[in-house]
Amino acid sequence: MSSGPSLILLDRDSYLGRVYPLVKLAWVFLVAVSLFLFRSPLSGATMFVGLFALAMLGGKVKLSRIATSGRFILLLGLLLMLFHLFSDPGVVAYSLGPFRLTDTGLRQGPVFFFRLSVVVLASFILIWTTDTRDLMVSLAKAGMPYRFAYAVFLALRFLPLIQQEVDAVRDAHRIRGRAARTSLSHRARLWGRYVFTVLINGLRKAETTSVSLETRAFGAFPIRSYMKEPLFRRRDLALVLVTALLAAALLVLERR
Amino acid sequence: MQESFAIVENLRYTHWNQETPTLRGVSFSIARGELCILVGPGGSGKSTLASVFNGEIPHLLGGVMEGRVLVDGRDSAESLPKELSQVVGHLFQDPESMFATLCVEDEIAFGPENLLHAPAAIRVEVDRLLGEIGLEAFRERLVWNLSGGQIQKLGLAAVLSLSPRMVVLDEPTANLDPRSTRSVHELILGLRERGVTILLVTREIDDFLLARADRLLALDEGLIVADGTVQEVLRGKGRELKELGIWLPETVEIGLGLGADFAQGHLPVTALDTMAALRVRGLLPALLAGHESPAPGLEQEVLVEAKALGFEYPNGFRALRGVDFTVRKAEMLAIVGRNGAGKSTLAKLLVGLLKPREGELRLFGRRAREWSVERLATKIGLVFQNPEHQFLTDTVREEIAYSLLARDLDDKAEVERLVGDCLERFGLADCADRHPFSLPAGMKRRLGVATMLVCEPELLIVDEPTYGQDKDMTHRLMSTMESIRERGVGIVMITHDMRLVQEYATRVMVMSEGRVTYDGDPARLFASAGLLEEANLRPTLLQEMLADYEAGGGRVTGTINRSEDFLEALSAGARMKGRNPA
Repeated sequence: MSSGPSLILLDRDSYLGRVYPLVKLAWVFLVAVSLFLFRSPLSGATMFVGLFALAMLGGKVKLSRIATSGRFILLLGLLLMLFHLFSDPGVVAYSLGPFRLTDTGLRQGPVFFFRLSVVVLASFILIWTTDTRDLMVSLAKAGMPYRFAYAVFLALRFLPLIQQEVDAVRDAHRIRGRAARTSLSHRARLWGRYVFTVLINGLRKAETTSVSLETRAFGAFPIRSYMKEPLFRRRDLALVLVTALLAAALLVLERR
Repeated sequence: MQESFAIVENLRYTHWNQETPTLRGVSFSIARGELCILVGPGGSGKSTLASVFNGEIPHLLGGVMEGRVLVDGRDSAESLPKELSQVVGHLFQDPESMFATLCVEDEIAFGPENLLHAPAAIRVEVDRLLGEIGLEAFRERLVWNLSGGQIQKLGLAAVLSLSPRMVVLDEPTANLDPRSTRSVHELILGLRERGVTILLVTREIDDFLLARADRLLALDEGLIVADGTVQEVLRGKGRELKELGIWLPETVEIGLGLGADFAQGHLPVTALDTMAALRVRGLLPALLAGHESPAPGLEQEVLVEAKALGFEYPNGFRALRGVDFTVRKAEMLAIVGRNGAGKSTLAKLLVGLLKPREGELRLFGRRAREWSVERLATKIGLVFQNPEHQFLTDTVREEIAYSLLARDLDDKAEVERLVGDCLERFGLADCADRHPFSLPAGMKRRLGVATMLVCEPELLIVDEPTYGQDKDMTHRLMSTMESIRERGVGIVMITHDMRLVQEYATRVMVMSEGRVTYDGDPARLFASAGLLEEANLRPTLLQEMLADYEAGGGRVTGTINRSEDFLEALSAGARMKGRNPA
């Protein structure tokens, strides 16, 4: 046993843990749509802070967990922001040697940063607070054929396994050491090997799981029963309603 | 004569991506309710054979199958796996990757849910199986937070939830600590009591199960080479099985070593039966003299020193608590303990993948925090449990050369010489130009060890050094490690294999719940029932025999840590008796 994967269900016993899975899925879509409608970085920043607070208070997710899982996305978001800062056309606001920051870039950079990081954070919150099996059951109950619903479930089920695999391969490669005069092309080859190993082992695991499903009667009948089903309560809709109101308020404010 | 439940007739099978058949005309049958053990060396086709009963072959794994497999009267080629799911259950070698859900009770419910059982009935069945495997308290636990033993038991429960009439278990106790192994075996025997037909596939024959099994089959290079009752096969083919590299219990090795006279009628399998047979035949002298073992080299230079070392993962799991220990040059330290005791965390701290947060850890005289992983890699080698994670190149030859190049050895001729030597030493010369991923499991393991040993590190850490290895290869690997140890390299092996500890370790450290509960001589550990119990360990059969011998008034001098040593001590005792009959 070790620290375990970071993209998994963390705590069922939280406010978000009890919200009906489909409501949370709809909430993620709502957050994503809002972010694409926002034009002001302030709206994105408000949502960013709001989601952070929701994750920690409503989902009992520790700050360290958010930081560990989200650092790659934050980095990607920053790169995206830098790209926009320096490449968007517009009136030059500042210049530093060959680099020129435009007024559009200064506005669009943070907007894109928040789009990426808030949408990913919302997806992470869904994963941290949802038993993916419950999500699968609620999708099937909503009318989706259970084989398709299960495909969604398995994709989410595999995330932590792939993450474990990535960690293990990274550790093993570091231990193998690296020649001091490693060329760039050699490094690229090592990266290729890294991806190859993760991919091969991931595919093998997926194949084993798929064989296991068949041998355990998956698909034997057009429908299946469920030992336990998630409970929908009307008050779960509050999550979507409050978020929709906040998004609407931000949209109104930024367009005034 | 008992009715046959499973019949395999002249089965030939070639995997879709291979040219030569893995199974080359296999025929046998298993009677209803029989417990049958299938043994064979790595690559003999055992796992392939395990996949034919429930229709995985040919329906899911493809390939070309000839011959016929009948289970409970149904032809597996004409029935889909989902149709056979209530006839044959298959517990895969790696049960974790067969799990379809996130938590324990959901995993057990998965099969009955597919069969449209009523939710209330599923709940009853899940409760019953949780009780049977002893995981009631873990029903809501996430599957990746289970120990190795719990994963095996959950896999078995998931298979049993479909109420199959036959179960095929592929190496169900590989990598488990000895007590978890025993509890899985007890579960298997419980199934037999209920009339379930069982095929257990293994490369290491356990005395507990062997003494209770009905049949023993051996497979080699895709052919059945032995088939009969356990006694028939052990007495008639025991030596051949040993030559094939199959791990036989030490008791059986001793029985076979004593020749046909000893094995007349019945070859004892358990330690107590073997000792009773030796007594009845008057083969036990008053003194068993073993060989002298070298004193532990306390004067040797310290490579690693830990004081009050603790470690907690970000999720709050406390893996190490106040651990004190040293590793010196030229010693082979075995770290043992139940799954989850903190052994792998300790290994990661030693190679720098984790940094200590509590206490002190000094590596080669410097604080662990001052070392980067890359710098430490020039002094410490770690062989992972899954060797594939370590592979970086496209051929076996390049893989070994990479280790040398990463240590900045740039003399081409010297690299070639060292690589050639290493390929020979590890029996990899014939596959030098193959892709590392295409090798059989045992060879991959060997390559993993070779890539680390070729650089002659000052300290080598090996996680389960012989997992998946045949007996001969194990001894070759261990002899190689023994020779580098004699040249001053410190070796740390993390293992559940008590025979390995007994035969090779100069010191053993027992870990339990993140603490070191014993650090010292292996022989003293085996003599302490309390310590073994606490760490989920069991003495080896040889140690059980020696304990029984001493309890009966016999005296042991020196070290007896192999069945060969025991046989030598017996014959030396017999010679003494002959000279001095009184």
